[in-house]
Amino acid sequence: MEQDVILEVKDLKTYFYNHGRELRAVDGLSYQVHRGECVAIIGESGSGKTVSALSILRLISYPPGLVMGGQVLFKGRDLLKMNDEEYRRIRGKEISMIFQEPSAALNPVATIGDQIVENILLHSNVKREEARQRAVELLAEVGIPNAQERVKQYPFEFSGGMQQRAMIAMAMSCGPDVLIADEPTTALDVTVQAQVLEQLNRLRQSRNMALLIITHNLGVVARYADSVKIMYGGKIVEDGSVEDVFLRPAHPYTLGLIRAVPRLDLPRTHGLHTIEGEPPDMSKIGPNCCAFHLRCAYADEQCQNCRPPLEQVGDDHFCACHHRDLLDEERKEVLME
Amino acid sequence: MSQKLNFYEMPGAPERRLDNILDLDDIMYVENLKMHFPVTRGLLKREVGTVKAVDGVSFHIKRSQTLGIVGESGSGKSTIGNCLLRNLNITSGNIYYEGHNMNDLNRRSLQKMRKNLQMITQDPFASLDPRMNIMDVVSEGLKIHHVLDNKAELYDFVVRQLEMVGINPDFRFRYPHEFSGGQRQRISIARALALQPNFIVCDEVVSALDVSIQAQIVNLLMKLQENMKLTYVFIGHDLSVVRYISNQVAVLYLGKVMELTDSDELYDHPLHPYTQALISAAPIPNPVVDRARERILLEGEIPSPINPPKGCNFCTRCKYADERCRTEEPKMVDVGGNHLVACHRVAGA
Repeated sequence: MEQDVILEVKDLKTYFYNHGRELRAVDGLSYQVHRGECVAIIGESGSGKTVSALSILRLISYPPGLVMGGQVLFKGRDLLKMNDEEYRRIRGKEISMIFQEPSAALNPVATIGDQIVENILLHSNVKREEARQRAVELLAEVGIPNAQERVKQYPFEFSGGMQQRAMIAMAMSCGPDVLIADEPTTALDVTVQAQVLEQLNRLRQSRNMALLIITHNLGVVARYADSVKIMYGGKIVEDGSVEDVFLRPAHPYTLGLIRAVPRLDLPRTHGLHTIEGEPPDMSKIGPNCCAFHLRCAYADEQCQNCRPPLEQVGDDHFCACHHRDLLDEERKEVLME
Repeated sequence: MSQKLNFYEMPGAPERRLDNILDLDDIMYVENLKMHFPVTRGLLKREVGTVKAVDGVSFHIKRSQTLGIVGESGSGKSTIGNCLLRNLNITSGNIYYEGHNMNDLNRRSLQKMRKNLQMITQDPFASLDPRMNIMDVVSEGLKIHHVLDNKAELYDFVVRQLEMVGINPDFRFRYPHEFSGGQRQRISIARALALQPNFIVCDEVVSALDVSIQAQIVNLLMKLQENMKLTYVFIGHDLSVVRYISNQVAVLYLGKVMELTDSDELYDHPLHPYTQALISAAPIPNPVVDRARERILLEGEIPSPINPPKGCNFCTRCKYADERCRTEEPKMVDVGGNHLVACHRVAGA
């Protein structure tokens, strides 16, 4: 199993500096991604989930952001220690990314085809015509009808769902081993979201590619992910298989999230369960407390003064909470539903 | 707000007409509503076509209840919301509010009526004027309608209003950028409720919010509905949230209602193939339950409303579509138990 680890993030720290203030957007993040696995990172806005992905791709610009420490091991080599030239050969080829807003991520003044061809030419030694043919095949593969004509069109001629497919085609163009998808379907309609995700999942299985999905949509995670990381305040608070996290949640935040979503398959309850308060302002939360303590029903003095470590609670199931034993009652209540 | 007048008691209000309304429980009755926008081209704005954003929609809305409208982008759901408040001049059809046809109202009486009809919009960042502090935001409507002109009263009122939606009144002189998305949505709610309306269109109000904040806002809306006997039209694309908050749900596709029924009935017995696909596409946050479900994957995307398909609007993506679907438009049929559906397949069964 250890050999199968393709991407390993170790104690990653990305801080932002603004007007002399330090903001710990990602603060000690560690996880592993295995070959062919679908890993989901769940978090609310400001939890550091996007910043952690951008750090892996070294797309954090200074100022204001800086990767302060940690390692990102890809096939055993530390991405953060490579020089730019070395890294450029990996980014877009072996690791690629799909961004949240396809309309903002695509170049509006270049045709879809040119944008895909650019990436292919950058990473492999093929002729332009060959690359162009490859672009057409890729577009057809991600489900764009009439790809031969579509390849000549500009992004504005594509609908949102089509743009996202084009992004996927571009990310897939060099056959990556790891594909990072940051909120890939947030801007899309429900039926198109289902199409795009189904497509991504098929590609993952057929190419044995690892898929790292960053999202706040719990339903999407439950449907596709193998392993789930819950992020809060720049750290992982719970990490486990999809069954562990959804059926045996160990962290009060995870449980709160699961209960806050109305369920289509269950009778309606009177009033949704809520997590009080707002996602934390990371510039105001000290390093020596549980980031969730202000919103947690179980919080006490220990939570204010001591940051809970990530501890093993089951096979491959980890949780960072001082009071996870107190959760049993609530968990039973949820499982009864 | 002691002297709040009923719309029909206000000076200059039109006479109440009850002959148009069938059921006194209905606060609003919409009959064959159409909203077409012209597509123009060139300097002379030559009309080259029409976008049939809303094309023959009818429904009742019961007092103190919630009608949910679900649909994909381009289905015309926001346009319906805007038509109900007469933000748009409708192409044809009738909207009866409290038994009165809104087409017959002149500008002055429409403005008076608008006190009772409010809207909360999707984007909490775009819907608040960045140069007004939230005291001004919440009290603007009261000043325009001369409900409260006394400064001290206005002040007290805004404080009460902010407390009601869960915003610390000490923040009343702050500006919108100092609030988070969820707080801004609360301020939008306080603003919409300032004139004590009884009818509110909520257009994708929770779509832009985080999961935990979404639940807070849904709970707040439901609590306010109970306390103030509000009627909501809740527009959204997330079927689970819309079903949760609504008593009835209308499924919209390309400007037409495909299915309309009680929200639990819609989930338990969806009849229209589009509704079935929508429900199937919405993942359930439980890996065991979700992975055991049958999945219907729709091909393609919603066609352009400039050039809608002949016959049934859904025929281009429907796996059951046959010759009749491509030529003849299905009528809305009541299959019993207040369950309306527009599909040849169901009506024939």
